Amino acid sequence: MSSLPATSPFKLGMWLLLAPLCLWLILLIILPHLELLAFSFTDPEQGSFTFGFYQEFFLEPLYWRTFVRTAVMSIMATILTLLIAFPVAFYIAKMLKGRSKGIVFAMCLIPFWVSELVRTFGWMILLRESGVISNFLQWSGLSAGPVELLYTDATIMLGLVYTSMLFMVVPLVSTLDSLDDSYIEAGYDLGGTNWNVLREIVIPHAIPGVVSGCIIVFMLSLGNYLTPVLLGGKDSLWFTEQIYTQFITRFNWEQGSAFGLLLLLLSSLIVWAGLKVSRQSFAKTMG
Amino acid sequence: MSKETTIDLACENICKHFSDFTAVDNISFTIPKGSFFSILGPSGCGKTTLLRMLAGFEMPSSGDLLIKQKSMLDVPPNKRPVNMVFQHLALFPTMNIEENIGYGLRRQSVPKAEIAQRVAAVLERVGLAGSGKKRVDQLSGGQRQRIALARCLVLNPTLLLLDEPLGALDLKLREQMKIELKLLQKEFGTTFVYITHDQSEALVMSDQIAVMNKGKFEQVGTPHQLYYQPETAFVAGFVGDSNRWQGNIESQDGTAVRVSTNDGLSFKAKVSADKTVNAGNSVEIFVRPEAINVSRTAPSEQTDNQLICQVETILFDGAKSQIIAVEPESGGKITVTLPQTSDFANLQNADTIYLNWSAEQTLCFVDNPDNRGGV
Repeated sequence: MSSLPATSPFKLGMWLLLAPLCLWLILLIILPHLELLAFSFTDPEQGSFTFGFYQEFFLEPLYWRTFVRTAVMSIMATILTLLIAFPVAFYIAKMLKGRSKGIVFAMCLIPFWVSELVRTFGWMILLRESGVISNFLQWSGLSAGPVELLYTDATIMLGLVYTSMLFMVVPLVSTLDSLDDSYIEAGYDLGGTNWNVLREIVIPHAIPGVVSGCIIVFMLSLGNYLTPVLLGGKDSLWFTEQIYTQFITRFNWEQGSAFGLLLLLLSSLIVWAGLKVSRQSFAKTMG
Repeated sequence: MSKETTIDLACENICKHFSDFTAVDNISFTIPKGSFFSILGPSGCGKTTLLRMLAGFEMPSSGDLLIKQKSMLDVPPNKRPVNMVFQHLALFPTMNIEENIGYGLRRQSVPKAEIAQRVAAVLERVGLAGSGKKRVDQLSGGQRQRIALARCLVLNPTLLLLDEPLGALDLKLREQMKIELKLLQKEFGTTFVYITHDQSEALVMSDQIAVMNKGKFEQVGTPHQLYYQPETAFVAGFVGDSNRWQGNIESQDGTAVRVSTNDGLSFKAKVSADKTVNAGNSVEIFVRPEAINVSRTAPSEQTDNQLICQVETILFDGAKSQIIAVEPESGGKITVTLPQTSDFANLQNADTIYLNWSAEQTLCFVDNPDNRGGV
């Protein structure tokens, strides 16, 4: 578009088409963040400039430890999701043909027609002390008393992986779909084993899908509020919970703003580091 | 079979049935070591299925497949001494040229230094020395062909399978690659199995050609045999250009017959000795345009078939120009090659030309509507 002359009649059309996107970006993303930025640097009593709210994050161990914990758990959830989603996506994209391919793919999608809240309650029904699994264990005699499976880190992880699965499967299926079968056949024909073909042909081809899937899943896990709170309980110590507490419970909007911006900044930093380590560029992944 | 040790590939009664049709129907053949064997046939004749069975990507429904006297039925594709050049080459886009060629060697756990040396050597032999660090998309179509060949040949396979690899190239490059492929095959001495629907590719390059139709081999022979002594109407129609008529046998004397075509021409023709025909049989008649003598004056000597025709159209195509001529009495049409001599430089429509050719060049097959080949 940039090559069009400035007087081109397409110019106006282009701006009109971009208008909803621009409005969305400005009103819902840029403006709130500018407001957060202003809040976070303002001392509410004197109205003067202060670094205090950011200092608070680094000086109070609870805050930065919660952040580190959130980041580490999100990275683990991302890796787990990738490990589970990759075989699923490979099966859908390469092993299934025709109708069954569409059906299995739809089966992956259908759970996401239900709201996240309802799905999380579903897990609670299964896992709580008086829930289905606990009852089954008692009935079958494997356990003497009720078993509480909720409110542990493993439960949070389970919920995060489950919630994120679709966002990993979709980009993986679309990149694996674009891998022509003849590359895989050539890989075997030239003497490769299953592992060789996976390692040298399938994975290198799927990297853009892996990276975009990982970015989406990591960001969603890091910013998730419902799953850690419902499945992890009071002690889940998720960073979004801290932000919620600052805004809603403590009315400390300035501290909440600083946390919100720190979450954005630090998560971007982790994604950037992840791209560096895997030697991928953001532009290549998105293109 | 005294030369048994030199047979690289033997197929014995190979069949492949899919749920609703038979792709390969009871085929047996052998390929001697170091030869260039082509399988020629129209699309959908089962040649790709046959090739994929040789590579190991499809299992035969029945029959056996022997490479150097060893059955390959239980050997997976990655363990067979067979490599394949794919239709679209399948050069790995995520690797550079060197890594592509080295892929197979890395699978055999060849030491790194030796890989580098063998890759450089094979690149040199295919005339692309020094392009090892390039990406696949930096090479032209012809260069990619040669890399795809090099990637297989570096492994010294017993058998190299080629699945119409020239199909995607433009005409000029295809002509050039035909010659190059043949030279490379001679140089490396590897046995090539080449499948194609392009008869010119098969004729130029092959030592032996199998013409395949509907899952069966119609004829296996040298390019010369297929062109001059086709055994079936399908082969006669599929290999080379032909005038082709439906007609009936009027009289018969041994292998010599007189036939009249449905559009009113009458020829002396020959049937192969092993075919029995009777007067009144419906037949197909083939005469190659290039087998017909054309002159502008009446020939002095008598030949088996003579026609006096008028030029209807001249199809100009350089050296391959053709005349479509009409016999005024019957209205029957015949295509002949336009001679490039000065006599014919000023040939025009409606000019009279004299055509003659021998009965040996008039091939006659009993008409079998199931067996009509593409033209």
